Amino acid sequence: MDIIPQLVLNSIIAGSIYALIALGFNLIYGATKFFNLSHGVMAAIGGYSVFYFAKTLGWNLPLSIVIGVLLAGLIGYALDKLVYLPLRKRKASNMVLLVASLGLFTAIQAIIAILFTSQFQTLSQNVSGQRIYEIFGGVITQTQLIILISAIAITIGLILLLKYTMFGKAIKAVSDDEEVAKIVGINTNRIIGYVFFIGSAIAGLGGVLVGFDTGIEPTMGFALLLKGVIAAIIGGVGSIYGALIGAFLLGFVENFGIWHISGEWKDAIAFILLILFLIFRPRGIINK
Amino acid sequence: MEYFIHLAILFSIYATLGVSLNLIVGYTGLLSVTHAAFYGLGAYATAILLTTTGIGFFLSVIIGILVAMVASFLIGIVLSKFDNDYYALASLGFNTIIFALFLNWQSLTRGPLGIPGISRPELFGFDFSSNLSFLILSLIILVLIFYISKFIVNSSFGRVLKAIRGDEKAIQVFGYNTAYYKLTIFVISAGMAAVAGSLFASYITFVDPSSFTVFESIFILAIIILGGLSNMRGVILGALFLILLPEALRFVGFPPDIAAQMRQVIYGLILVLLMLYRPQGLLGEYKL
Repeated sequence: MDIIPQLVLNSIIAGSIYALIALGFNLIYGATKFFNLSHGVMAAIGGYSVFYFAKTLGWNLPLSIVIGVLLAGLIGYALDKLVYLPLRKRKASNMVLLVASLGLFTAIQAIIAILFTSQFQTLSQNVSGQRIYEIFGGVITQTQLIILISAIAITIGLILLLKYTMFGKAIKAVSDDEEVAKIVGINTNRIIGYVFFIGSAIAGLGGVLVGFDTGIEPTMGFALLLKGVIAAIIGGVGSIYGALIGAFLLGFVENFGIWHISGEWKDAIAFILLILFLIFRPRGIINK
Repeated sequence: MEYFIHLAILFSIYATLGVSLNLIVGYTGLLSVTHAAFYGLGAYATAILLTTTGIGFFLSVIIGILVAMVASFLIGIVLSKFDNDYYALASLGFNTIIFALFLNWQSLTRGPLGIPGISRPELFGFDFSSNLSFLILSLIILVLIFYISKFIVNSSFGRVLKAIRGDEKAIQVFGYNTAYYKLTIFVISAGMAAVAGSLFASYITFVDPSSFTVFESIFILAIIILGGLSNMRGVILGALFLILLPEALRFVGFPPDIAAQMRQVIYGLILVLLMLYRPQGLLGEYKL
């Protein structure tokens, strides 16, 4: 059997998932210029919200998904207002912000583990009943197709938002130069708050989709975060196109990298790619 | 009583890790998130040597130190290209890569199965197999490393490190090759972490990759940030607090697995609160 079509499909799916994390991460990085490590746990919040509302309480699925995505967004927004905004006002260094986000990440992940146990759980009702499509000799499930479509749709949505709305232009202004944006009358803290909401909601959606594709566990956010951050950096940190390109490049390198070796090497391959980029092209593919 | 000795041994291992990491993070101002990798290299060196060859514990410690120093030399060369948050991220990447080695180099490390049956140390016919004698050994090593570290930071070499932390460009103007200083302290600190690893392997008599994840590095980082960056006594306090915390939580009635998660919640929140209100930690002299 020819394995290449399947590898290509796997790479595209992985790339789409990473893109969902990297897009929000880059949006937030663009506006705040720090590595927000608590971003990863938003995916876990999204996934576990759907688990709670749809599986434990038995609400209908689309409603639960909407609530899960909004909840991730709201928690991201709240973290900005409670922690990151006061730190920014105090002109805290990037490292202080990074450590604070690491602390939030650790705490929220553990709270999820206390509430729902650390067991691996799956969101989809019947795994075997999933529709499967064949493309060029490779196999892709319905969930995976939805992941791919979501990643593309959200990228297009973000690009349109940034290009054609006043709000999007304000985000761009804040990303370019926060001080100047303030001078021309943009309420930068309000804009950054919304950016946290949007970015976290996208990560939440990513977590929900991963939950349907493979499953959820409290630590899922960390793996997703690292891949999202790597994708963001190799693509070009702070750029929407960069996040997308980086995510797919990472997806392909990872999946083709384990062609002849064990899949456990994936994370190491991802970080080797990151370190190579940091050494030879630290600003990423899209050089901003 | 045995239980207190157990806690005291754990405390002295983590205090050793904290003191050594403080040399890099606290005194030199480099946010390293890869300490658990060197801790693991020491542990695996001892584990492999004691179970497959006839050499004694103390010789295995020295080999462990050498392995960690060579690894940290190579890693340090790459890391010397980065600073601040990029340094943190790249160092985290190296932790993941070394973790993948522990997990996947199965012919050497037995992968996820781990290495059981590691013996306790023996020196000139004196046997450290009782927990009390092992505690004395680990306390001696802690005191030794504590004073070596104190000696380093108070020497002229240590003053250059603090100057790098303060303003690297300025000290370069005075003709100091800062890359050399940063690399040297990184290698020294890694060697110290390897000693803690050897102690851990010999005490628990079993190692597997799960003890050397990124989360372990974050935990060690939390010890020194809590106790105080750039303050040796602060680190001891931080280690004491974080080792005793889950025990205290169990004491007030939480079941063990919940207590372990509660510790994560509490130290995560402590990191956030410290960043908000006291970025130098409890006794620290340096703010991130």
